[in-house]
Amino acid sequence: MILRAESIAKRFEDRIVLHAASLRLEPGEIVLLSGANGSGKTTLARILATLLQPDRGEIQLDGVPVSKRRSAARRAIGFATHVPLLYLGLTPMENLAFFGELSGVAAARERAAALLQRLKMDGFADMPLVHFSRGMLQRVVLSRALLGDPPILILDEPYAGLDDEGSATLNALLAEARLRGAATILIAHDRDRAAPIVTRACLLRDGRIEEAP
Amino acid sequence: MTAQLPGWWRMCAIGIWAAAGALIAWSLWSVAARAPVEAVMGPVQKIVYIHVPSAIVTLLAFGITFAAGIAYLATKQWIWDAVGAASCEIGMVFATVVMVTGPLWARSAWNTWWTWEPRLTTFFILWILYMGYHLVRASIRSTSRRTVSAIMGVVFFVNLPIVWKSVEWWRGSLHPRNVTMTGEMREILLLSMAAWLVFYVAVLERRLRLEWMREAALSEADAAASAAVPLKGVTA
Amino acid sequence: MTLFAVAAKDLKLHARDARYLATLVLFSAALVLILSVAFGPIFRDPAREASATVWAALFFAGILGLTRALDLEGESGGGDALRLTGSDPYALYLGKTLANFLLLAGVFVLVLPLTAIFFDVGDLRVLPALLGVAGLALIGYAAWGTLFAALARGLKARELLLSVLLFPSLVPLWIGAVKLTHALWDGGSIEPVRDWVKVMAAMDVLGLALAAWLYELLQEAGE
Repeated sequence: MILRAESIAKRFEDRIVLHAASLRLEPGEIVLLSGANGSGKTTLARILATLLQPDRGEIQLDGVPVSKRRSAARRAIGFATHVPLLYLGLTPMENLAFFGELSGVAAARERAAALLQRLKMDGFADMPLVHFSRGMLQRVVLSRALLGDPPILILDEPYAGLDDEGSATLNALLAEARLRGAATILIAHDRDRAAPIVTRACLLRDGRIEEAP
Repeated sequence: MTAQLPGWWRMCAIGIWAAAGALIAWSLWSVAARAPVEAVMGPVQKIVYIHVPSAIVTLLAFGITFAAGIAYLATKQWIWDAVGAASCEIGMVFATVVMVTGPLWARSAWNTWWTWEPRLTTFFILWILYMGYHLVRASIRSTSRRTVSAIMGVVFFVNLPIVWKSVEWWRGSLHPRNVTMTGEMREILLLSMAAWLVFYVAVLERRLRLEWMREAALSEADAAASAAVPLKGVTA
Repeated sequence: MTLFAVAAKDLKLHARDARYLATLVLFSAALVLILSVAFGPIFRDPAREASATVWAALFFAGILGLTRALDLEGESGGGDALRLTGSDPYALYLGKTLANFLLLAGVFVLVLPLTAIFFDVGDLRVLPALLGVAGLALIGYAAWGTLFAALARGLKARELLLSVLLFPSLVPLWIGAVKLTHALWDGGSIEPVRDWVKVMAAMDVLGLALAAWLYELLQEAGE
């Protein structure tokens, strides 16, 4: 599946955050998008994930604008950001089973169990998330994003809170996704952790995306 | 879009303000000098010449907000949001006038400042609801404010007839049903209504002009910023 | 089914927050107690005072419940996650409305006997009719409340705005509920006030219909 962002513009109140950000994401790519604080990375991530409407421009999946097929588009995208997008009062398994069922993921429970085990969270599968540490929570966040084996992955600061072992597992999972033909965009400050798997790098500056040297 | 309004708009604006000014002056003078003093209530009765037109303008204003809301939801054009919000602001002002002049009149006519009878209750509810509209609108920073405002404009207006009917049913009406006036009083009332309606249009124009300029300024800033940064190595 | 999964999830989350449930229960009970003290010990018109008490308690409990439900969706992005599942927005809305309705019904089941005892009103024979009235009122409250909650989400003065918007809009429901409850406790018959049933049913249908049209729009109208 090809993700294409065409001249995305977004402003909040009187501040223009994105001018004409354009991007093309092909299967098998892992693109790193970096940029200064406040450059609009998270806003762009939310727009790519269809959570936020751009003021101008559009997002297309395989040539079809996401606004035309929103439900299908959302099910094709795995999104993680600094907001957990989980219910803290529920356990990891309950969260994943719930979201899996709603997203139409086949055998959601089994898939969830497998992911939690991979990310070493299976021992905590029945503990409400409110008791989790930052790093533990992040692992569950990533499990939710990867649950349906989505063809598009949009991960905003995925390494935040992860220790070295966690980062390595994430990289392994992303490499596997890549082999499956998934397209990933990683939004991250520090390029070191992502370096082993990144295929292309971009920079978000002045509301535009530029190819990084 | 440019910050310069089209010529015909500015001509009409001048015309409307002139008309509003003239009509208001004429109606105020008529109320003061020409309108007969009512036998029972005395001069206080003349509040009705402000009260009734204000109520009519309020309902018209909120009706326009309702229509603009539907138009915005259908077309997503910012101008409908601007019309709806502007109309609602002006409506609030007139609604407040109604809420202030009403009790002043009521004290004299019914010997009480307030009573929970249908028209007053419904109007009070209307006042609260549309105050809520502005509170909500002010709290939302981004352009989604337009959708939310449109929805509020529609939902609140749709609800009003039901609220009105329910309260009427519940209480029975004390407020005069129709304004039955004859002769000169009627004429002056109609004049006042015309005056305040034109005034409403004039203020609406001003408010829309402000929105237009704001949108224009933002588009210009956007265009300028886009032009300033050279396009290098854009990932197409 | 999406609807039931969402409702179950909401109820599970409410159930796990003991502090919040305790607040809800104590608040409602306290209101009934205070009003019974204020109007008593000799009640001039117990049916009337009791019916006012029940619905006042339910209204405020409802606001607490609705804002709590909102907070649950907002605090860790659960609401956004729901959108990302690509589920039908109306199904999400109905699931939440169902959960809110059940929560309110729970409060009602608590408040009703308390009020009946403190005000010494009530008769088991009118109980089915009373439950019917409560059903009408609470369905409407949940339906409109969930819709308005979506409108008020993310805003700073959520509770204030919700009360400000919700109470006036639902005046027909409140009048109907109080009048019908009063009639049932007063004479056992709702004949003179029967038309209010139609009004309340109309409000319920209107609320659910408006949500069908508007909920998706509200959901997508982001920050």
